[in-house]
Amino acid sequence: MSVIREGKVKRVLEDPESSQHVIIEFTNFVTAGDGAKKEELEGKGRLACDITEFLLQYLSDKGIETHYVETLEGPKIRCFRAAILPVEVVCRNVAAGSFCRRYGIDRGIELSEPLVEFFLKDDKLGDPLITEEAVMRLQLVNRSDIGFMKSIALSVNHYLSELFAQQNLRLVDFKLEFGRTADGRLVVADEISGDTMRIWNKEGESLDKDLFREDSGDLLSAYVGLLDILRKTDPKIIPIRSEEVHVMVMPKEGIKNPPGEVTRKGLIRLGFQDVKEVRVGKEFKIVLTRPLTSSLLKGLELMNIKLLTNPIAETHEVRLS
Amino acid sequence: MAIAVIRFPGTNNEKDVMRVLASIPGGDPYLVPNYDGPGPLARADGVFIPGGFSYGDYLRAGAVASVEAIIDGVVEIAKAGKPVIGICNGFQILAEAGLLPGVLLPNKSARFVCKWINLRTCETKSIYTEGLDSAILRIPIAHAEGNYYCSEEDLHMLKGEGRVSFRYCNSEGEPTQEVNPNGSLDNIAGIVNERGNVLGMMPHPERASRAILGSTDGLAILENFVRATKAP
Repeated sequence: MSVIREGKVKRVLEDPESSQHVIIEFTNFVTAGDGAKKEELEGKGRLACDITEFLLQYLSDKGIETHYVETLEGPKIRCFRAAILPVEVVCRNVAAGSFCRRYGIDRGIELSEPLVEFFLKDDKLGDPLITEEAVMRLQLVNRSDIGFMKSIALSVNHYLSELFAQQNLRLVDFKLEFGRTADGRLVVADEISGDTMRIWNKEGESLDKDLFREDSGDLLSAYVGLLDILRKTDPKIIPIRSEEVHVMVMPKEGIKNPPGEVTRKGLIRLGFQDVKEVRVGKEFKIVLTRPLTSSLLKGLELMNIKLLTNPIAETHEVRLS
Repeated sequence: MAIAVIRFPGTNNEKDVMRVLASIPGGDPYLVPNYDGPGPLARADGVFIPGGFSYGDYLRAGAVASVEAIIDGVVEIAKAGKPVIGICNGFQILAEAGLLPGVLLPNKSARFVCKWINLRTCETKSIYTEGLDSAILRIPIAHAEGNYYCSEEDLHMLKGEGRVSFRYCNSEGEPTQEVNPNGSLDNIAGIVNERGNVLGMMPHPERASRAILGSTDGLAILENFVRATKAP
């Protein structure tokens, strides 16, 4: 099998059986600080592979599209070939790691709501934080895909948090990568394991790569423990939650908007002389039965063409987050 | 001939329409509630979609009704070349369903307009305006969304193909802006489809069909419609 890409802890290989798929091989390496710290731990690849298989399968059962197809001997997994987006997505529930250093706050502070952040994938720059606006202005990812990634990150956060909560563990934060498949679907790619998330027990002790980063414990036995814990969970009893999206419909520019005109007159009467124009549109809150997928996104566009919008006179915008 | 008069939740002109159609020789109207679906339309020689406020005018006037299963039956009738007429909300439904080009937007005044207007029969040579060459008809309107709008290309096409059936006009028959009751593009009050068998119009001919109502000017349009249902 020829190597497509040699990562720090994984190898991406051509799938000899299908050009639609690739094979990801988990090595025994563990790195931290962008490879500044590196070690080989016998059995680590197997553990990361098994945890990834478990979690991607679980997310997929909850309706989240991932690149995972099946597990092979190896430790390897077969995945859909996907062009990886140039930003990675981090979702945080509790302050830890770079978030604490960035804002000078203590490890363990609860965030009022889950926070989604984007990081530019660039090893030379050390994967810096990047704002959504910058992602769009640099045309790295479009607005719709950003909204999609945020929505999925929050869904993943919900399902993983619920799963770990069954075993009294706290999901602190995690990283996701997204890729676009040949048939245009945006899917969760890469691995989801102790290497890509922080998990704490009730005492605030880590069961993840922080043990290696901080030389604070035995990573291998933590990963054995993590896999053990996952196998004790009952993913089936976690219900699929609904997700909310919004559709904004506006009268096209150039088309008179009488409701807006009379509203403006009312505002002027009330003394708001600076109101130059008011245009009245509509907002639809649409609650979906399951997490967003690329085909649901296409469905939302169709809903607009078929009913929500009259394209002769109106424009629409689907807001995912 | 058998004329299906379709009633959606919120339709409120179906009784007036049935009464006028039944009074016209050859007119044999029967009511079809939307929930019966397209089945009962199979025996129809023509379809009439009366006015009202289908589905409370929610979303956009006519939009929700336009995606009902029964509309598939209306499309079939239209495809077969049989006459289909939509009055007021019926026009809005036909436009939303794509059987007629354009859309009916909220009135320029942002108010419900209910009044008698003058209507000029235009360049059209459709079945509906036979014998009404350049006539000025006195017919009432009653709507909040009658502001006809379409793309420039569509307007050009409608005019070029003689598909504007009626325009709002003054007592001299001139389509001036002063007498445009709702802001309609080019004073358009009614149009037909490419084949000329589907008519949509905002004014209510059934409300101007007896002397006691104040005018009988609308009757000719309905008589033309009934006659067309008999055509082979």
